[in-house]
Amino acid sequence: MSDNRDERLESMLRSRRHEAASPDLAARIILTARGITQRQNVSIWQLIRDLCAEFHLPKPAYVLACALALGIVVGLNTPWDSSSVQDGNASNIQGFLSADEELL
Amino acid sequence: MATAWPDKDDHALLELIQNGSHEAFAELVRRHTERSYRIAYRFVQSKESAEDVVQDAFLKLWEEPAKWHGELSNKFTTWFYRVVANLCLDRLKRKRTVELDEDMPLADERPTADEIMMRAEAQLILEKEIAALPERQRTALNLCFDAGLSNQEAADVMGLKLKAVQSLIMRAKTTLKERMKAHL
Repeated sequence: MSDNRDERLESMLRSRRHEAASPDLAARIILTARGITQRQNVSIWQLIRDLCAEFHLPKPAYVLACALALGIVVGLNTPWDSSSVQDGNASNIQGFLSADEELL
Repeated sequence: MATAWPDKDDHALLELIQNGSHEAFAELVRRHTERSYRIAYRFVQSKESAEDVVQDAFLKLWEEPAKWHGELSNKFTTWFYRVVANLCLDRLKRKRTVELDEDMPLADERPTADEIMMRAEAQLILEKEIAALPERQRTALNLCFDAGLSNQEAADVMGLKLKAVQSLIMRAKTTLKERMKAHL
């Protein structure tokens, strides 16, 4: 008797009614997803790589930067003597002019 | 060369989805919509709500595919049905009272008018009695009898041990047998 009731209950549980889903449910979901952009989980390394990519320069810019750096280095290493020659020339001119004034 | 989507398993599809493949997502949706809907329907008892839940669950997966961590030991369906069940429970918490629709269409065929009436009445009472069961018993019953999951799968979805699920089903059936005495 109890077994019979068990079987009936199980049969009722397995044949429970339900409303079928709309036939276009899957298509609706697929279509909606097409309008949604995915959010990717960004790792810290990815973030750093992206940050570096922000500062990426084209090759000509590197050439120009290198040329400038080279110029600065060369400029800083140039001996002061060359500028003292110019200073010397300037004092010679001053001497020449003042010699003229002495005559007058 | 055309990709044979049906040949790909869920894990392979999920990897493609993580790379933004709409086709893989479409295949996954077509594969699991029906069963997910059945699970959701048993929780929310409404076609519209169940469809919304299934749609939400799939769209969440699409939006953030990294949420799925493809551990080999974990089946996609186990994880996904848990997502569906949790969304249903959230929805039910928001809408405290779930009223049973008395005009739900009957799925099975019946030979005579009397039998139709008797079975319809018994089914209606069964639905009400199931709705009155404690939440975990109802969930276990729905997953095993309606969604067709094995006890082990239901246990995985619910995050319980197999014995706990068996015990929940046993208690639910005992309660139902007692309350449905006149209709069995």
